[in-house]
Amino acid sequence: MKASLWLLGTVFLLSSAHTLGLRRCLIAMDMRHVGESFQQIKGAIQAQDTFQNVTILSASGTLHSIKPLDVCCVTKNLLAFYMNRVFKDHQELNPQILRKISSIANSFLYMQKVLQQCQEQRLCHCGEEAANATRIVHDNYNQLEVRSAALKSLGELDVFLAWIDRNHQGTPAS
Amino acid sequence: MPPPRPVPPRLVLPLAALLCLGCGEPGTVLPSPPSVWFEAEFFHHVLHWAPIQNSSESTRYEVELRRYGTGLWRPVSSCSQTPVLSCDLTMVTLDLYDLKGYHARVQAVDRGRRSDWTVTQTRFSIDDVSLTVGSVELEIRDGFVLGKIQPPRPKAAPAGHTYERIFPQFHEYEVSIRKVPARHEFTNKKVNHENFSFPIPGEFGEFCVRVKPAVTSRTNKGVWSEEVCFLLAAKQYFTGTNLTISFALVLLLCGALALRLYLHRRQKLPAVLVFGKPHPFSPVGQLPRPETRDTLHAVDEQAFAKVSPELRNSELHGSTDSGFGSAKPSLQTEEPQFLLPDALPQAGGTLRKGDPPDPESSCSSASTDSGICLQEPRWVPQAGGQEHGGQEDSGIGLAHHSEGRTEDELCGSGGGHVGPLEPEAAEGEDPAAVGFQGYLKQTRGTEEQAVTAGCLEEEASSADASVPQLRMCPDAQEAWPPPAVDKGYLKQDPPEATLAPLGALAGQWNPAAEEWSLLGVTSCGDLGTAEWSFARDPAPLGVAAPGGLLGSFDADLVTLPLISSLHASE
Repeated sequence: MKASLWLLGTVFLLSSAHTLGLRRCLIAMDMRHVGESFQQIKGAIQAQDTFQNVTILSASGTLHSIKPLDVCCVTKNLLAFYMNRVFKDHQELNPQILRKISSIANSFLYMQKVLQQCQEQRLCHCGEEAANATRIVHDNYNQLEVRSAALKSLGELDVFLAWIDRNHQGTPAS
Repeated sequence: MPPPRPVPPRLVLPLAALLCLGCGEPGTVLPSPPSVWFEAEFFHHVLHWAPIQNSSESTRYEVELRRYGTGLWRPVSSCSQTPVLSCDLTMVTLDLYDLKGYHARVQAVDRGRRSDWTVTQTRFSIDDVSLTVGSVELEIRDGFVLGKIQPPRPKAAPAGHTYERIFPQFHEYEVSIRKVPARHEFTNKKVNHENFSFPIPGEFGEFCVRVKPAVTSRTNKGVWSEEVCFLLAAKQYFTGTNLTISFALVLLLCGALALRLYLHRRQKLPAVLVFGKPHPFSPVGQLPRPETRDTLHAVDEQAFAKVSPELRNSELHGSTDSGFGSAKPSLQTEEPQFLLPDALPQAGGTLRKGDPPDPESSCSSASTDSGICLQEPRWVPQAGGQEHGGQEDSGIGLAHHSEGRTEDELCGSGGGHVGPLEPEAAEGEDPAAVGFQGYLKQTRGTEEQAVTAGCLEEEASSADASVPQLRMCPDAQEAWPPPAVDKGYLKQDPPEATLAPLGALAGQWNPAAEEWSLLGVTSCGDLGTAEWSFARDPAPLGVAAPGGLLGSFDADLVTLPLISSLHASE
């Protein structure tokens, strides 16, 4: 009896710890590796973006105003945005750039699986602000021609990665 | 000559246009800067560009900035018509750390002419900011150099926009130590906190320290700080801790020496108790040689009397090489009471009473065999027997002439005979027993071990403990007349003697008439088997004598409970 109670208590504690850790589950991930991969192709990708007066992720208030409770949901939605639309719509001819993009895509896939656990634990609540931010991103993407939109979205990966680094590893600046 | 004709008006403008080609219209002919880029530190964002070709003193530059996602280029008034090749755009890019991006462009201007705009190739963002430190403070304390790193505190940073807030975690610093004046010898170490320490280098002189920050979760580059130097003098090694430790060590050392001296004095013996030098140690001589039989050991016969027959007759006491299949040392080495003491040196090895047994004269392969050797109870008849001179234990001791005796002396009619056949009857002892002094007892087998034990016990308790005495046991005596040789010993007649039937010899013992010769046949050269003769108690027929030695014996001898080993030399 005592052993079973002890076991249950241990399982509960471990689950709690795991759950709490999932809120910052991206902290343990090596984001530096993803950032280095993007830095190597950043100049080439952004130089092809001819629509500098349009942004998909950096629109005023899109990501900057996201609250901590919505961070998991927004992160999950943006990961899905890149995996389901940007990486698929972009047609890269340069093999070196394509290799780096593939590496980034694999890292995003891993991040999606980690966040899936958060969602199963009901720790990834999607509020109205998170939904609005996700919708704005998709709307901005839809306003451009697909190839230009995909190219611009790739060029804005530094913004997305910086936002993940700030929201999953420390308090926001503002 | 006639005067030149004036240019017609319709050709003035084209001519003027041709002459003004080299004048440079604004923005059309002036080359643009080759490259434009940002160099930024924490809240210090500077745009740089390369000069145009064939620039002059009148060349100036214009800078404009555009935030990513907006369509408007905004001129930077602080850098308008600047002659320099850089422009500080910090104040117009403060929201950079809010995940904003910027593009900047530069145009050359010279005497109304303007070049094309040159735009930065990549979007300026927080990833392009190089990390620095504000300052490094060093303090020497207790043998350590304590360092404290201050984060940057730029004046342009708005309130709340601190380094720790923008980069809250995963701070890492690389610390480099250089000894002056070497410029390329560094000792680097990484620390994860603004406070660090390292032990004082084991050298005197000046040392310089610099620090480079990093954030492990980001790709931002770090910039080495300015060097901070400190001087290590000799006095700095004499800290309170070092002095205390040194003093304690000195005290411990003195105490140990004093204690040692004190103990040494106490252990010193008085002069009267000082003994002389010990004999030189000879490792070789000290080595135990279990097989040697040269060492005499006084044996306590009483103690020996308690030895069980089984033990006596155990394999441990067996002969080493008797031809009976035993390789054990002879009993003589452990039961010197049964040995023939010093037989050879005495022209026959008569063992007189009082003479201590001579283990060295026991049967052994290399020792001087003095007589008939005692063997282990069981034996295997062996054709050919054992040769004299090397056998461990033949049962019948070999008359070695290693003592200087010749074979003739040993085996001849004269003095070569092995004592102790002198009866010494005057002493009141059983002549047979006396006669057997000097002979090594040999027991036949298990059926005789009991008898032998009794005999041994009686012998061991004899008055003269130093003289191994052999005498007939009562039981044995009942079976047959006391033989001249108790239990298996054979009398060896002088060379002219012949083998006499057992029956003739049984019960008779004429020590005067019989001359015993030692051992063995094999030791006596030509004597060979022909020299064998039975003693009072001839060997039983159970003994497989070599050759036809026993062939002439009387059949009654078979029943004699005697065991002897005969070694006949071929």
